[in-house]
Amino acid sequence: MAVRIEPRQEVPAKHLTRPRRARWRPSQGVRSAAASAVLLAVLFVLVQIGVATGALRQTGLPVPTDVVGSTLGLLGTGAFWSDFGRTCLEIGASIAAGCALGFGAGIVFWKLPLLGRVFEPYLVSFYAVPLVLFYPMMIVLVGINAGSIIILSSVMAAIPLALNTRTGLQGIRPVHLKLARTLQCNARQTLFSIAIPAAAPMIVAGMRMAVVYALIGSIAMEFTTAQNGLGYRIRYLYETFDNKTMFAYILVVLILSVVLTVLMALVERVLLRGRR
Amino acid sequence: MTRLTKLRESQFAGAAVVALVASAIWQVSSGLSFVIPSPAATAEAFVQNFADPRYLSDIGETAQAVAQAFVIGTVLGGAIGLLLGLSAAARTWLEPLLIAFNGVPKIVLYPVLLPIFSLGGSKIVMGVLFALFPVLINVAVGVRTIPPVYWKLGRTVQASKWQLFVHILLPAIRLPLLTGVRLAISLAVVGVVLSEFFATRFGLGRVVLQAYSHGEYAQMVSTILLLILVAFTMSVLLWRLERRVR
Amino acid sequence: MQGIHLNDVHVHFDHPSGITIAVDGVTQQVPPRSFVSIVGPSGCGKSTLLAVIAGLQPATSGSVDVNGRRVTGPDRDIGVVFQEDSTLPWRNVRENVEFAMQMAGVSKGERAAKAAAAIELVGLKGFEHSYPATLSGGMRQRVALARTLALQPGVVLMDEPFAALDQQTRIFLGAEVRRIWEQTHQTVLFVTHDISEAILLSQQIWVMSYRPGHVIDVIDIDLPDERDASIVSSPRFNELHNRVWASLQKESMRGFQDVETA
Ligand SMILES: Nc1ncnc2c1ncn2[C@@H]1O[C@H](COP(=O)(O)OP(=O)(O)OP(=O)(O)O)[C@@H](O)[C@H]1O
Ligand SMILES: [Mg+2]
Repeated sequence: MAVRIEPRQEVPAKHLTRPRRARWRPSQGVRSAAASAVLLAVLFVLVQIGVATGALRQTGLPVPTDVVGSTLGLLGTGAFWSDFGRTCLEIGASIAAGCALGFGAGIVFWKLPLLGRVFEPYLVSFYAVPLVLFYPMMIVLVGINAGSIIILSSVMAAIPLALNTRTGLQGIRPVHLKLARTLQCNARQTLFSIAIPAAAPMIVAGMRMAVVYALIGSIAMEFTTAQNGLGYRIRYLYETFDNKTMFAYILVVLILSVVLTVLMALVERVLLRGRR
Repeated sequence: MTRLTKLRESQFAGAAVVALVASAIWQVSSGLSFVIPSPAATAEAFVQNFADPRYLSDIGETAQAVAQAFVIGTVLGGAIGLLLGLSAAARTWLEPLLIAFNGVPKIVLYPVLLPIFSLGGSKIVMGVLFALFPVLINVAVGVRTIPPVYWKLGRTVQASKWQLFVHILLPAIRLPLLTGVRLAISLAVVGVVLSEFFATRFGLGRVVLQAYSHGEYAQMVSTILLLILVAFTMSVLLWRLERRVR
Repeated sequence: MQGIHLNDVHVHFDHPSGITIAVDGVTQQVPPRSFVSIVGPSGCGKSTLLAVIAGLQPATSGSVDVNGRRVTGPDRDIGVVFQEDSTLPWRNVRENVEFAMQMAGVSKGERAAKAAAAIELVGLKGFEHSYPATLSGGMRQRVALARTLALQPGVVLMDEPFAALDQQTRIFLGAEVRRIWEQTHQTVLFVTHDISEAILLSQQIWVMSYRPGHVIDVIDIDLPDERDASIVSSPRFNELHNRVWASLQKESMRGFQDVETA
């Protein structure tokens, strides 16, 4: 009996499965978002009641609805926008500089393994070393200005990205590099078409950390001493006992960081589409 | 391999060279600007500080707060991380909020903590908030990426919950857990010292800020270096342990 | 001088505890437009030999000529299909197949047309926009095959391209490789450890010996060009199978003992 092996044509799955009328079920992301919204709302109401009834008097918390009101009120003041602009400038500049620095350093450490090995203990521990504590030294050297904050925040942002970039590049599957060689890719093609995309998951994770570090670093340093910026303003308002406005500023910082987190999640989705 | 290449390839030697070059640059630049204390003056301040009982009690104060923050933060972070790793419901409810909170500059909450936890407690709470997240995230991700076959193995040998935890879960997540703990130590230092920058009567953070405002830069730099040295040493030791465990 | 000419190729690996002789003087040729398979025990130097022909690794001594040119490094006219999954997870099927052409600087329009043809050839039509993460292992190897074929290299080297797949998929893909070769008649050198696969696909089989690795037997497969799986039950197939098995078995035993006593 002759069994001729027919070349098999793969069939897209949608032709194989019968269309099913499924009940609509919200995706994990939607459910998570809804659950968080519910939690936040419950918290909000509890604090509202607690403060209104005086049960939370000794915590010094203001009425949540008042905080929302005064936050909206802030948006009309020029002073707020000046603080906000300053902080955004610092964060934006340190994200940009930190990413460029970290990404470049990661690639150099990968290309020159000896250098990478020498700097590894420093990178690994600086990433964990309280770099913010250098801030008093920075202001002695550079002055109390955006410059000293941007310099330190950039370094803080650069370190996790450099480490991740190097780790990602070292983890490229050898077969991908072999492929590049058999196709006679030049150095530029190998770097941009193979190495960086292959390391992208690690690089993007490093970028997320870089953004968090830039934000946390900038605000923490403003909080320590500065002459302008959201972090500085919160401290100033605390010291002048303006509790209501202080909470409005704190709320703004919380919103700003949530917006950055969400933005980075979107960036990750776009850059890593199609992968598992 | 010859001894020379071995030395050249040793990470420690390379790192030492980098440290030497950095101190040389420091020495030269201290000669150029009066605000930069020389390495010698800094070292002198460093040594003298240890003869000062007030300074020693500041060290004790900070060390105690850091230790408490570290222990509480690691335990709490580990517990929440486990919960998040093991329970889908916990993930649905808590994950987005925790991820968002991880990105928040927690120091701005310090004024909120002060009336609730008072001066001594607030810096510990701040240290906990800082130390919590690396442990939490690493444990949660570590637990979720345990290969399912390990759980199946545990079930087929009818391991108890406790046995599963000790013999499967802990060994499987030991590496991310160690990484989290390593980061938690220095983040606890950051949280406590930043709080001490803000308002406190004792502690090394206060020493730094006071030295800064009095223009005693040698004192300031030597204290910052002490903090960084301790965090650096702990972190390198844990990192080496991590690489051995691998 | 068309085809692949191996001239006394030696490959030695130096390491702290001594020298491994991976390839020990191979002098053979693959005639142009023919299909040759290499079988041999694990570790006998098949991959190493293929890497030398692909220009990925220099020979310690000896030389390789491909289509009249001395091999000194990788060459786009020599296509390689690797044993491991080599699809790029950040590119969908079409982009993966276009990758080799893109690196070679082929224009966009030509790329699209050739990619479409290659995708059709390997039976992946309808999956152009899928990412490797959503494909099975066999489908990914087809993508790699299409990527190599799309560049239309004169010589195709395959290093156990289907080793990681199950038996049925392997038979199907083997049949497809043979069918495609019947259409294109490129010069193919195919490494496998499956004797039936080697006999089913090729016109000639080289049997390699365990360390030091050289070709101990060359067997011409005088089966009809038009083959199908039923040939497996023919007496001639059995004879060939026994012949390959006999040379191989001696070698495998030697390799096994070597490991036992090492
Ligand atoms: N880079 C290397 N350094 C040292 N030894 C090597 C190297 N590559 C291969 N070898 C040795 O050369 C020998 C041949 O290896 P090769 O990979 O070519 O075997 P193979 O025939 O392809 O085996 P398999 O069927 O298992 O893939 C082996 O003994 C291996 O240990
Ligand atoms: Mg091999």
